[in-house]
Amino acid sequence: MSYFDFFYNKNIAKNNDTIAGTCYSMCPQDEIDLRVRENSVHILEVIGPVKKLVKSYCRSAADSNMAVPRILRPYSTLKETLEYLLFEVLKRRDVPTVVLYDFINDRLRAIRQDMTIQRLLSKQCACLLEPMIRFYVYFAYRLYEQPINDFDPVLNKKYLLECMKWFLSCCDDMDQKGEDKLEELTAPFSNLNINKNEFDRTLVESLYILCNLYDIHPLLRYLSLPRDLKRDSMLNLSYNIAVANIKGDFINTCRLIDKLCPLTYCAIFLYLPEIQKHALQVLAYGYNSKQLTVPGEVLQTWLRFNNKDETLAVCRHYGLEIKNNAVRFARDSFKKEVPKHQLQQNSLKGKGLTVEDIFTYKRNIL
Amino acid sequence: MSNTATCTLNQYIQFVERSFRTSQGTILARLLSLRDDHVGNRNLRSSDIATLVNGNCVEPLDEIIIYHLLCAKALCMKEYEQAYERQSSCVASVVKLIQAQQGDNWNLPLLYTVSLDLRLVAQKAEATYPSNGKILEKAAESLLAGFRVCVGDNRSSEPYSKKIGMLTIVNQLLKVYFRINKIHLCKPLIRAIDSTNLKEPFPLAQRITYRYFVGRKAMFDSDYHAADEFLSFAFQNCHRHSFKNKRQILTYLVPVKMLLGFMPTKKVLYKYDLALFWDLACAVKDGNLRGIDKVMEEFESFFIQAGIYLIVEKLKISAYRNLFKKVYLAENSHQIDIASFQAALQIMGHDDVDAAETQCIVANLIYDGKIKGYISYQHQKVVVSKQNAFPPLTSLC
Repeated sequence: MSYFDFFYNKNIAKNNDTIAGTCYSMCPQDEIDLRVRENSVHILEVIGPVKKLVKSYCRSAADSNMAVPRILRPYSTLKETLEYLLFEVLKRRDVPTVVLYDFINDRLRAIRQDMTIQRLLSKQCACLLEPMIRFYVYFAYRLYEQPINDFDPVLNKKYLLECMKWFLSCCDDMDQKGEDKLEELTAPFSNLNINKNEFDRTLVESLYILCNLYDIHPLLRYLSLPRDLKRDSMLNLSYNIAVANIKGDFINTCRLIDKLCPLTYCAIFLYLPEIQKHALQVLAYGYNSKQLTVPGEVLQTWLRFNNKDETLAVCRHYGLEIKNNAVRFARDSFKKEVPKHQLQQNSLKGKGLTVEDIFTYKRNIL
Repeated sequence: MSNTATCTLNQYIQFVERSFRTSQGTILARLLSLRDDHVGNRNLRSSDIATLVNGNCVEPLDEIIIYHLLCAKALCMKEYEQAYERQSSCVASVVKLIQAQQGDNWNLPLLYTVSLDLRLVAQKAEATYPSNGKILEKAAESLLAGFRVCVGDNRSSEPYSKKIGMLTIVNQLLKVYFRINKIHLCKPLIRAIDSTNLKEPFPLAQRITYRYFVGRKAMFDSDYHAADEFLSFAFQNCHRHSFKNKRQILTYLVPVKMLLGFMPTKKVLYKYDLALFWDLACAVKDGNLRGIDKVMEEFESFFIQAGIYLIVEKLKISAYRNLFKKVYLAENSHQIDIASFQAALQIMGHDDVDAAETQCIVANLIYDGKIKGYISYQHQKVVVSKQNAFPPLTSLC
């Protein structure tokens, strides 16, 4: 074989190496048979007398070939499965939330696996990933107080990051190929075109900043985004929060947090104890005095505590002295090594928001 | 040697073979460089290079020559993606060759040349067919193979050890990682270099490049003292005629120095065509927040591209300190109203600042040791130390 043929073959193989799934149900028949036989149908897959199985996640192993069209679900089925999980299963109230989370997380991983094996188009990936990102952000908040055995925030963050990075690289891909532009051109000719806002890119870009608040990379990414994206009010707000936080300007950080939408608030909520702890430490230096104090209510509004009791309790937690509902700051008494405090979860902003809303709300409606 | 631009394919093969047999590393490197005259030689662009070279040349060399000439041909036809594929194969063959030649390092120049060429071709391919840095990422993998051969050479005694080649390859990798924004991948490379102790130091030119990148990385990690040290080394040792490089180093060194309280002179900034930093330095010195914003706006794309936008943002903290010092000197008192600071901030461009935010800024400055004193909430006053209330920024560590 000449070198030319060698190169030629190599390049052909590279481009055509995709598999299209042919499994049009949420779970391949093989798996249904196996799981029914082995008695491993999840409680959430049983609806009264009906069994409705969803393909479960299975680690790829050397001896198993997963690239079989028969067990892979195409995009339309994946989308259907995702919607079933997030809109139907998530409504179930007969099991603890943690069980619900574990089940859905596992099935979402299976969806991502199918996406990877089939190498779906960037746009399709983005459509599937955006609701998943919402799911992980929301449950990180919702299950925040659960013991580590029931809910592991680190693992959740890992999945979240995986989805976000994938989503963002899909967006970069689309930017580069100019797919959106093409669509704009064809849009007037097809009224029944798929809704252009099928996924909320700026929401994810904002979450990427706020979920990695102390990381400089999301900020560098923001800075290099196209101008029209940067001008988006929420994305810009998220950037400003992160920059204010880097500069230690907790007053501004907390003020800007008030303007966030529910999901971005969920993201920042997990950082709030850290922000508050650092702020209290700065205040302990700034207001260092043997006699003078700062009223508890002032701290409460500055640092967005839920109530006065919580404010004073947190201050006490870090070794600060309380006198007549006011805090006496002293740099030497502040205990840096104490683990950071936990916050009580306040009801999510924008009351009346159902779980379903979390996955569908668009910011301009709120 | 001078006739490689016109010689026949057979002559060219003989040149390569001879330099290989006589262990002339630099000449061999030049013969397989994409930046040499022979690349334009039409005789070397035959339609069937592979069959002509095959069997016409000793074993490991034939592969290298074939890939090299195919790459040169693709470049001439402006098929950059293909050129990249071929150069990548060429690097792989060279790495194999070098690994096979144990106990010797005369061939390192060849590795340097093909590695550098690979990066350049990859950059060209990336620019022509944007792939989100995937081509460069793949190039980095090829370069890593060369790096591993150098690091793994434990058996050869020192003057013949390939370890001396580590830094050159690492620098290529650093260049790639910085370009594709994968700075976290630099860490294991830096660790490998820092833990190497050879009797003979790495070449100065490579050390300068290396410190430049390590300095930039330290800057990203907010370790400004380390960044200052590395970048200063690079700047002081960089050849005086390498104007472009010196300017490049200054782009990072100046903001780092400014953060540490050292203001650049007008002369040096104008010499290196970096006048924008002069405007910035003046604004920081005067505590002129509006001025900083103006420079940031005007040169936004420059700052963003260089990756120093956020550093410039941080300079505002130094500007606050300088502004408050002015207020303190004007008030000529150790007790200053928060309202005075607030008014100063508003005059200087922080229009919507209120008392709470002003106190927050002061508290941060006290926390950083930039102001000595404390705030009284009840009296809404800042009480500063009678001695050295605003210690010079350069005295802080």
